[in-house]
Amino acid sequence: MATDPIQLDAAFEALAAYDWDRDAAPLATIDAAVVRTHGDAAQASDLERRFLTVVAGPSSRAAKEYACRKLSLVGTAAAVPALAALLADHDQSHMARFALERIPAAEAAEALRQALGTVDRELAVGVISSLANRRDAASVARLAELLGGDDDVAMAAAAALGRIGTAAAAEALAAARPRPGAATSAVLDARIACADALLASGDRTAARQIFAALEAALPARPQTHRERALRVAVTSGGLACLDDSVAP
Amino acid sequence: MPIRVPASRRGFLQGSLKGSIAASAAVAMPYVITSKALGDAVTPPASDRIVMGGVGLGNMGSGDQRAFLNRPEVQYVAVCDVRAKWRDDAKARVDEHYGSNDCAAAVDFRELLGRDDIDAVHIATPDHWHSIMTIAACRAGKDVYLQKPETFTLREGPLMIQAARRYGRVVSGGSQRVLEDYRGIVDPCWAGELGRITSIDIDPGASSMACYLPALATPSDIDWDLWLGPAPWEPYNPGRCDGNYGTAGNSWRSYVDYSGGSLTDWGAHNFGGTIFAAGLLDLQPARVVWHPASADGRTPAHATLVYPNGVEMHCNRPQQLRPAEPKASVSHERGITIRGDGSTASPRAVPAYAGSGGIYGDFLECVKTRQRPFRDLETGVNTMTAPHLLALARRLERSLEWDRGMQRFVGDEEANRLLDRARREPWAL
Repeated sequence: MATDPIQLDAAFEALAAYDWDRDAAPLATIDAAVVRTHGDAAQASDLERRFLTVVAGPSSRAAKEYACRKLSLVGTAAAVPALAALLADHDQSHMARFALERIPAAEAAEALRQALGTVDRELAVGVISSLANRRDAASVARLAELLGGDDDVAMAAAAALGRIGTAAAAEALAAARPRPGAATSAVLDARIACADALLASGDRTAARQIFAALEAALPARPQTHRERALRVAVTSGGLACLDDSVAP
Repeated sequence: MPIRVPASRRGFLQGSLKGSIAASAAVAMPYVITSKALGDAVTPPASDRIVMGGVGLGNMGSGDQRAFLNRPEVQYVAVCDVRAKWRDDAKARVDEHYGSNDCAAAVDFRELLGRDDIDAVHIATPDHWHSIMTIAACRAGKDVYLQKPETFTLREGPLMIQAARRYGRVVSGGSQRVLEDYRGIVDPCWAGELGRITSIDIDPGASSMACYLPALATPSDIDWDLWLGPAPWEPYNPGRCDGNYGTAGNSWRSYVDYSGGSLTDWGAHNFGGTIFAAGLLDLQPARVVWHPASADGRTPAHATLVYPNGVEMHCNRPQQLRPAEPKASVSHERGITIRGDGSTASPRAVPAYAGSGGIYGDFLECVKTRQRPFRDLETGVNTMTAPHLLALARRLERSLEWDRGMQRFVGDEEANRLLDRARREPWAL
């Protein structure tokens, strides 16, 4: 059953004026309309256009956040430019990513990649996490460059390469220059994650090489919980690569 | 501080092949640092104690803390909470217990995970933090007792299991009710009295909802940014973050950014007990069938989870649609009925907790022996898949097919958008 257009118009008027101290009851009409878009591309497109008007307009942070949540469900490539424009805004960046991370269009991934060159360090960490969640293999080269940057960004980039888990990601992590502290620790975890991803994909040879390289690099006598956990990880991972009967 | 390595574990720590195989087959050997205390007839010497800290010390977390604090094999050394009151009260409990002022108190969980003297942590934060903290703890080499529900989204489970297995950690879910509250249905099922299990009726609670509470001034005694963590930024309101057990508003358990609602909160117990009784622990549903409400409104909408072995789990099925109870059925007061075909089935012994002292003792025993605990993380993840699938079927109002191997929905891009959600920087899985 289609949503009554008059009710929908009224709901979007309420949304445009919405803030955290306002009555949210009118938004229920929009919630229901979003559910009804399944199999109705025209309705979904209409709602997308309306949400984009809110996102690009003078509405409050609360209203734009609501619109971004809904765009994460009905947004398409058409939504990407407006959402990408919010990535550099500290108040809006996360919710823009909330939508971009879920929109399957290639344009969404490209917008996130492009944002790495424009957003500040704090927001770059978030953008990187969204690329990781999308397992965006096309961002590997860019993430590899970031391994040499600021600590927070380098750690995020390492983690993302680990989540992406391709052979190229593994190579980038292996080539990362050692640096003190948490950044190198993040690279270790990421290399383990990469090895596991390669193992899961069937590339036991590549996975075994990573685990073997890590095992050679770790202290022979682990002294801390962390060192012991790393040794277990690379040892068990290496064994898993050797035997089909051993679950990865 | 002197370091003492129990002789039975030296082989592993020296990287022997035998120890490595043992590690790959189970989990790593723990490493316990001595303290000054020598122990007595009741309390093990410090070298045998498990050094613990706690993260999230509100209603449930304080209960978990008391349970671990009262265990003679535990040396409790640190607490962490973003709220000053919970943090101060938790520290006071520890200091009173030991008659000292030594318990550390932190706001940020990473401080606890960074301490090498801590062997294990218990986590009882709101649900939206569970995966990040558990994975970080595993990588830090800590064993984890994690309050249910173990997962907040479908994507988290496999990543959490991967971390636990690869880093050789003991990770126990915290649903003590599964073994303790549901024996009325567990025992007959495991005894084979129902034969092959065929169908189940269960009445899960409501899903969580959006939070539209007004903005209020943030008090000085809560680190609001850290409380929110990976969740979207929203202004402070006490109803948003209250830890009461209600799920109809004014509690974090009510709201979609922090919890799955009663569906996953009490659902972790009800689904947990049901799935355990019915022998479905190793399985995840293959599909969820949505039954829309009847046109005349007399029959409300409901759903059926279908398992790969054919068991149908009817969720909130109206009474008028349920069969008259056959002889081969058992029921639980929490709205659960399990039916079988009445065939001859071999009885199986119901698993017991390891060690003594319920689920807490089970966790601690497994920390020592490196066995998988009764509520191993993987069983918790499998269990929680059921309410997560149900939540999405309710939200989308349609049937969904779940590919366990790929951990994705089949042919439903809209549902696949809902496998996870972007986390607020700097937090990531």
